[in-house]
Amino acid sequence: MVNNEENTEKWDVQLRKGSLELVVLAALKDRNVYGLELLKSLHQFESMQLTEGTLYPLLDRLKRDELVAANWVQEGESRPRKYYQLTQKGLDKLTGFTQRWRQSVSDIEFIINNPGPAALTKQGEETC
Amino acid sequence: MLERDLIHTYLKSLAKYLSRLSKPEADEVIREIESHIYDAVELAQEQNGSADIEEILARLGSPRELAAQYTDHILEGRPLPQGFRSMQRIKRGASKGLMVSMAIMGFGFSLVLALIGAAKFIFPDQVGAWSAAQGNSVIIGFTDSVSPSSTEVLGWWFIPVAWLIAAASFYITRKVLAVMKVSMISAQ
Repeated sequence: MVNNEENTEKWDVQLRKGSLELVVLAALKDRNVYGLELLKSLHQFESMQLTEGTLYPLLDRLKRDELVAANWVQEGESRPRKYYQLTQKGLDKLTGFTQRWRQSVSDIEFIINNPGPAALTKQGEETC
Repeated sequence: MLERDLIHTYLKSLAKYLSRLSKPEADEVIREIESHIYDAVELAQEQNGSADIEEILARLGSPRELAAQYTDHILEGRPLPQGFRSMQRIKRGASKGLMVSMAIMGFGFSLVLALIGAAKFIFPDQVGAWSAAQGNSVIIGFTDSVSPSSTEVLGWWFIPVAWLIAAASFYITRKVLAVMKVSMISAQ
């Protein structure tokens, strides 16, 4: 059981590696948030337990790739925080990623739902 | 007080590992991480009444690991300008050739010296190190016509000295090759 949990965690990490960019871009859409705020909002979700050490460098890379923009804001007495927003380029990328993601999910779902012994063929979709 | 010290030490160490970035870039990263740490401390104090600084820092990873993620793109991500790839390849080829000749020379030298040292047991009179022409030239190795004007300098000490030098040469060659290999890999 413990082993199983460990495996699940590993799987989450692997899956996140590829999808984290999409997750962050999607979470930033039409929002203006700072790092910790974004992290907390993601941590509400069971499979989104990424660490600070992953998020901040990722935000830095997205900024370098001009997918997000950042600006320092100081509200009243509080310490300045770095807020992130999506750029047009980021929005375009998010649209593209979203399409590919949905395609992958529907393909995977189909494969899971169509076990053997019959050969795996996409035509099965119509007969199903 | 101690908490401030921990944070200060962490940020200082982070700054050191970020030195590959330009000063404004590094400052920006440090500023954001610093802001995060103090925010996280505040948040934890609000939620639990106290904050575990060590845990907050641990979630960021070690300063070195964190910095590496910010600087990795400088080492690998930057595309090489046109024409650079072939240069890189030639350089790599050259250093490969250099490594091979280095290995042959270094290990060969060790082997020959070790064999000469061993031969002294069998041919004690023909093997040794001679000083000829009043010390103006030194002959090391095998000879069957020892010129009368030269004197043997080492005697039986020749064996340990030869083996020691052989071992040293072997060791240095290995070290140099290891360094060359690492620099070749990082050049790829």
